[in-house]
Amino acid sequence: MFGKTAIAVGFIVVSASTAKAHDELALANAPIGDPYVKVSDFLPLPEFIPGLGTLFVDSATLPAGPFLAYDRDGRLSATVYMTPFDDLQHGTSFDGLKIGSHTVSSTDIYFNAGHPGVDKPHTHVVLFHDDTAKERLAE
Amino acid sequence: MICTRRHAVWLGGYAIATIASSRVALAHLSTTIEMRGSPRGERIWYDPIGIAVSPGTTIRFINRNPENSHTVTAYHPANYNRMRRIPAEADPWNSDFLLPDEYFEFTLTAPGVYDYYCLPNEMAAVVGRILFGTPNDTGWEGSSNDKSDVSEDVLTALPLVQKIRSEGTVRKEDGS
Repeated sequence: MFGKTAIAVGFIVVSASTAKAHDELALANAPIGDPYVKVSDFLPLPEFIPGLGTLFVDSATLPAGPFLAYDRDGRLSATVYMTPFDDLQHGTSFDGLKIGSHTVSSTDIYFNAGHPGVDKPHTHVVLFHDDTAKERLAE
Repeated sequence: MICTRRHAVWLGGYAIATIASSRVALAHLSTTIEMRGSPRGERIWYDPIGIAVSPGTTIRFINRNPENSHTVTAYHPANYNRMRRIPAEADPWNSDFLLPDEYFEFTLTAPGVYDYYCLPNEMAAVVGRILFGTPNDTGWEGSSNDKSDVSEDVLTALPLVQKIRSEGTVRKEDGS
């Protein structure tokens, strides 16, 4: 009995690791498929936003995201979360959010006054996935 | 009565020709209000935020914020059932979303005070005010007294009519 349980647990651990690695690979380069869509395809925003790059999001996760940020070569460079102050002040928390890559080199957090899709004043939490990501997303 | 036009500067020859012809026809009677923002979107504003214009002046709003899109939307029941903050004789306008370098222009014909806002940024008090004509003009309608449909932040952000009249152009005090 114990042996079967151990095998089952081991299988789940291996499966989870495989799935995680697979997801990261699937998100590594744009364009990416369902449930993600390019933000500029459904919101009136530039296709490449200086500082954030080309964003993809699962619209069901708005406003928080994750928004996956790609550079001009289509390389995943950052994962961005957008959390409205008003929601936070009124008790909403944003927990267990997904991440585009499990490698994070640095994080920026700053205020944004609002834009189509997230019009409430909010925080941008930007997780950069490599040392040159910020530079590539800048322009 | 308001005449409106919406263009994209980057559309090429046609837009450039249109701009050029407008400049010739409207010399001395056109003014530009830019939609601007800080690089990360911490601050967004119309520049200038308040302006006095003469009859016949064409007002152009152009988006100079490369990270964001903006609108120029009159406070009027026709726009999302907002309380009217433009003269009763004026037609409302709504530019729809302007991507970077796109512009929208119109010519006012009813004298009075016009308040407008940016659809995705009104919560950040991104608003502006235009004075068209003077109180001596027939049909002049002053600023709205309504305080129920806009936030305190919006009311604070709108420049005073007296300040616009005395200075002609009002920019945000932080230099932005």
